[in-house]
Parts: sequence; C-alpha cells; structure tokens
Amino acid sequence: VSGGRKPPGAAPPAKPEARDRLRRVLFLVPYAVRHPGIPVKELARRCGVDEVELLDDLDFLLNVGCPPFAPDDFLDLYVEGDRVYVALHQSFTRPPRFTESEAASLAAAARALGGEGVERAVKALRDSVPRDRRQSFDELSERIYAGSPPARGSVLGRLQRAIAEGRAVRLTYYTASRQAESERTVRPYTLVGRLGHWYLWGHDPGRGRALPFRVDRIKECALTDERFEAPPEAELAPSRLFSEPSGEAVRLRLGPGALAWARERPGVRIVQEGPRGGVAEVAGVDAGWATRLALSFAGDAEVMAPPAARRHFAEAVRRALGRY
Amino acid sequence: MQKAQRLLDLAALLLRAAEPVSWREIQEQFPEDYGGSEEASIRKFERDKAELLELGIPVRYASGDEDLPAGYLIDKDDFYLPDLKLPPEDLALLYLAGSAALAGGAFPYARDLAHAMSKLSFAARAGGASEVAGLAAQRLGRGDAEEEPSRAAVVRGLEQLSQAVAAKKRVHVVYAGAERREVTERDVDPYGLYQKGGAWFLVGHCHLRKALRTFHLGRVRALTVNPAAPRTPDFQPRKDFRLADHATREPWEYALRGALACRIRLEPPVAPETVASFGPRARVREEERGGVTVELEATNPPALVRHVLSLERAEILAPRELRAEARAVLARLARRLS
Repeated sequence: VSGGRKPPGAAPPAKPEARDRLRRVLFLVPYAVRHPGIPVKELARRCGVDEVELLDDLDFLLNVGCPPFAPDDFLDLYVEGDRVYVALHQSFTRPPRFTESEAASLAAAARALGGEGVERAVKALRDSVPRDRRQSFDELSERIYAGSPPARGSVLGRLQRAIAEGRAVRLTYYTASRQAESERTVRPYTLVGRLGHWYLWGHDPGRGRALPFRVDRIKECALTDERFEAPPEAELAPSRLFSEPSGEAVRLRLGPGALAWARERPGVRIVQEGPRGGVAEVAGVDAGWATRLALSFAGDAEVMAPPAARRHFAEAVRRALGRY
Repeated sequence: MQKAQRLLDLAALLLRAAEPVSWREIQEQFPEDYGGSEEASIRKFERDKAELLELGIPVRYASGDEDLPAGYLIDKDDFYLPDLKLPPEDLALLYLAGSAALAGGAFPYARDLAHAMSKLSFAARAGGASEVAGLAAQRLGRGDAEEEPSRAAVVRGLEQLSQAVAAKKRVHVVYAGAERREVTERDVDPYGLYQKGGAWFLVGHCHLRKALRTFHLGRVRALTVNPAAPRTPDFQPRKDFRLADHATREPWEYALRGALACRIRLEPPVAPETVASFGPRARVREEERGGVTVELEATNPPALVRHVLSLERAEILAPRELRAEARAVLARLARRLS
C-alpha cells in the first residue's frame, strides 16, 4: 500500500515531537519486522504510545520511501485483524546505533549501580555509538554522575548474575531493626532505587513474600543452585515504585532553616508553612527514618506524630545526650 | 515535504544504494527540497545530515576512487545497532540500571534513556527492556499531569539542563539559596549534573559569583537556556574540572574554613552504610568489639555535626568545640521534649 505524497510546503523546524516520532519509528519498524503479526496494542505499548498514536505513526510511514518512489519503494506496514505486518521494510531491519546521549545516559546509570562488569558494559555501549560520535560520548559521560555504587563490585556482580540467571542467592544481611547480621536465602527479582538508595527486590521464602533489601546492607552474596522464574516486567514495574506510602505519614515540625533544606528532600511534603517554620509530612517511612531526618537539622526540627514516632524521637535524643 | 519524512526518505535512499549517491542525484531525487539556490540547498542538506546523525544515522561523504563514484553513503556497519557482546550479568547490569533510572523519573536525558532501553531490547535480546522503555516514554509523554509539581519541575529542569550541558549553552537561573534564603538571578555555564541522596545538582561556572558553584535543582525557581545559535557552544568547561570531585564531596568538605581534624566513634552494632556515609576520604578503624572510629578533616564543621546527630549510636570525640556543639543541640531538644 503506498499512499500519495502530501503536497509540498515549507519545511517546518524540527519540533521535539517530530524528532521523538522519528526516533520512535526507527525502533517501531525493525521491531515489527522482528515480530511479524504483533498485536497493535502490544506494539503501541512497546513504543510508549497509545493505539491511536501508533496508527498515526503507521499512516506517516506509508509516505516514507526512497526515490524513484515506485510502489515498491515505499515502506509498507499494514494492519490486519488488529495485528501489524511488514510487507516492505526498506532496509530498516534494525534500529540505528545508540546516539551519544542515549549511550551516555545509560552508562551513567550503569556506573551509579556498579558491579564487576560495569566498565566492560560501558565500553560496549561506546562501541555501539557511531564512530564519529564516540568522542562526544566520552565528553558527555564525564558530565553526568548519577551516584556511587552501593556495595562492593563483587557483591553487585553476583547479584546481577543471579538476577540474569534466575538463581537464588544467600545473603549476609544487616537488619537495621534487629541491629544484627543474619543469613537468608532470597530469590532476586530486580534492583530498584528509592530516595537515593538501592534496594534488591526479591522473594524471601522465610516470610513468604517479596521484600526490599537495602543493597548497602548486603555484606556477602553467594549464588545457590536453586532456580526460579521471576515475575514478568509488568508485574515488577509497580515494585520499582515500592514507595507507595503505607501507614500513617510521619509529621515533623520544622524551623525556618530546616524548612528550606527539607523542601528539596525527596519524599518530603511541606503541608504548612509560615515565617517561623512549618510542618512536613513524610509517607511510607518508619520512626527511625523520621528521627534521623529530624536530627539532621541539628535542633531545628522535631518529630511530632504519630505518637509512637514522637516517643522514638524523644528516646533517641535522650540516648544521644547520654553519650555526651 | 515534511522534514521528518524527508529525513527518513534520505536514510532509505542511502541505505539501499549499492554505491555512494552523488549530490546531483540527491538533488534530482528531492527536487522540492534541495532544488533552490545551490548554496541554500547545500546548507539545508548539511542540516539534514546533522539531524540524521543526532538520530544515530551517520551519513558519510566518500571522495570516490577508480571503483566507486564520489558521493554520500550510509555505512551499514556504522548504522545498524550491533549486538552487545557481553556476558548475561553485564547485560543485566545495563537493564537493571536503566530500568531503575527510568522508574525514578528524574534522570538526565530521560527520553534518550528510554530510547536506549528500546534499543537494548535489540542489542541484548532483553525483551523486558522495550517494555520498561515503553512505560517510561508514556510517562514522559504525559508530562506533568501525574507528578507532584515540584518533582515535575525537577524533571523538566533536568531535561533542559541535559541539553544545555551537551550543547554547552549558557543558562539563566532564578535560584533560591538555602542558607541565606534569598532569591538570586544569575547566568551559569553548565558543566555537569550529579545526583546525591536522591537529589540532582548542577555544577557550573557562575557568572554572578565568578566561580564554580553547585546548585540544587529543587531550589531552581526558573530556568532558561540561551536560545541563540543552538549549535554553537557558549563556553568551554575549565580543563581541570572533574565532576566526580564535586559529586563525591560530603557537605562537611565544602571549603568554608581551614581543615579541622575530627574523630567520631560509632558504637556497635555498626551498619555498613553508616561507615560508608562518611565518604571515600574518611579513615576508618574497626575496634575489636565491633565499634568503629572514623577520622576525617572537616572544612564545614556544622555539616558534620548535623550528620553525626542523624546517625544512631554515633558520637563526636574530637575536637572539643564540635563535641560541645552536639551536646548543646541535644540538650536544647531534650528540654523542649520534656
């Protein structure tokens, strides 16, 4: 099916949406080539658009071709019974190489997570950028720093391998609530970041459910022979945002100085403010976390509620004072 | 012809061509687009080439020899995304790191990262990667609707600053300082972006203070990127600039006064992250019974007091004046609480 050309007109400047569309279709076409008969809905999901937008992209592609623009010179993607097929792909069978910003962004993310293979992975990304752009990649890579790895390379390397191979791990883990190290076997599903920390999200058979484990509290990690099947990405996606607040939010009273600092803390919501300070709420954290936050303002903040959290705070102040 | 369409047509032509395509031929094939005055149409073609390269499609000019005519071509090896030949754990590393960064919402080049994840699904046969990318693209496309306004502002700021850092364009910042709590306006040459404790910071040459400065993105009230000459850099970062030096600097290492030698004791049991929280330059000594002593130099001592207070079972041993300060803070709090 080859559509007619649109009438000629002045070329508008490339809008971000136009650029986004170009980048999208450079993935869409090869993806559809690789997955013949992929449902419209599924392809739309993979492209990050809704079905209407996807069909719009397909319409746009009907006009793409190469000179001399004979019928067989056009791209030809068609929908039949809610499925997408590619009749003519015009050599768009794989996406283009990584742009330097795509590769640099992913490299920065990888370096923040760390692991034994991180420099190997970054080099592979660099090699996947067009030759002319590799220097820009090097430059850009030095302009983003997304954090320091949360644990030793060997611990992270083994965790990553266990996740890749679907193998359970035995962890030596420091449990903050019990203030002790313990050994436990976990089925590692994925690694997630929250409020500046990395967590292993995995199934703990001892507790019969999936739980987050702070990666910087994992002292040792050993692979076992126990295999498992991780839940699909769609199920894991919500776990990446496991910050879904549960329980009563902790309230803090903040002095004017603390207020300015607290405002930018991720997860902190200012609910009241005036010239003499304000009140902040933090959802989904325990009394220990709130106490540490309040004390980090050096006397300019107090935990107010719920009562158990206030007691925890008062007790922490009393104990700390006892040390001096 | 629409530009997006022309760019793809051009790519299709050069991908399919068995040998380099001459400028004459390109002009003949795209008469509406490159048919004007010679100079204008060459400039237009060069812009198109630049845009294709920004999409990851390198168009090259071959000067020709006995066997091949002179002209433009897309080297297939330099176009198609290759397979990343990496062991599974390294691919998992990329996949996990990219997914987590996208899920967090605020990340430099977030849209590019989503595209990178789509491509990873090809280069690493990681089916989940395109799904993660799709979810992220949808969220980024929806814009601010579901985000908290302050969070959305950070996401938007990061996107603008990412572009400014890459293109070396000057930015104008309206900034609310935390200490002095005054709002200032200034021009900044953005050198780099770093993340610490879940927040993003800009480092750059500040034209108001005439020095390198760090800006918390959460305190940026408004931001504009110099719109003039988008492809021409406004500055070159200083040669001695290293982003990691700024990014790994702890608050008590901000150079506000001469170095003060400090000693901190951590009572057992000591969580590994507590030790790590003192940064890479702290000297750590483990005691026999599980306690830990940390020694470091502080050039911004009040920040060290704040940090130690926020830790459970930690105590400043030296110097005496910091110890007294910590005690005074705690005593004041205790009085208020009783």
